[in-house]
Amino acid sequence: MSPLHIELASGLSDEETVALLALGKTLPLRRGEHLFRLGAVADAVYVVEQGRVALTLPMRIRNGEEEVVLEEKSPGETLGWSGLVPPHRFTLTATAALPSEVRCFPRAALLDHFRTRPAVGYLVTANLAAVMGHRLQVFQTMWLREMQRSVEYRYA
Amino acid sequence: MLMFLSILSMSVLALAVCAAAFSLATGGVRQPESRPERRPVVEPPQFFAAPPARPRPDPQIPLEMLLGDIERHIRLEQAAAEAFLAGPTLDGLHERPERRAN
Repeated sequence: MSPLHIELASGLSDEETVALLALGKTLPLRRGEHLFRLGAVADAVYVVEQGRVALTLPMRIRNGEEEVVLEEKSPGETLGWSGLVPPHRFTLTATAALPSEVRCFPRAALLDHFRTRPAVGYLVTANLAAVMGHRLQVFQTMWLREMQRSVEYRYA
Repeated sequence: MLMFLSILSMSVLALAVCAAAFSLATGGVRQPESRPERRPVVEPPQFFAAPPARPRPDPQIPLEMLLGDIERHIRLEQAAAEAFLAGPTLDGLHERPERRAN
């Protein structure tokens, strides 16, 4: 994976990116295999290296529970930021949509690394905040659109 | 004396007629009673929790198709939200996703 495509490493030098990647370990995932499940303890952050990982939430449909895909992550994209953000519980389920590989960065290793390299810690945290902020803005907009529709549905 | 009595009786009669007419005229008007103040019942906000009853979807629709529809809706809504964030306008915020898809 080219370092240029890793959103978590945006702004880092090549050396800093290599050092950051060295903290992680590649995990292969079979198609349909869960990377993490909603509610599980989050002690790592992941970057997709190959394939595609679907983020899902359960919906109750016809007295059953079905996983509905909210978004999919492609190579270079970050998932599992709950690993760095309290209360460190995953709020979605991640499942490989294809045979995939993700790089797993344990929280403890990242925090140790950031402690000795605050500038790297700052940039990675800022990149993570951008990922989180974008998710928040997208879902806030989606929520407002649904709310608007609901108001029209009830009061038109 | 007779004349005096006639005038007196006519006056009493006229007074009685006036009193009867007045009571008839004002009989329907009642003073407002003091009642406890009525306040409009305000429903709690339940936009998502209790939508009005609508025809249920056909249970014959396969679950896979239903899930596909839900996920398609999410994808379109996400695309609409991304487009709004790229250039926020009021029209863009509430634009129907079907229009974007075309």
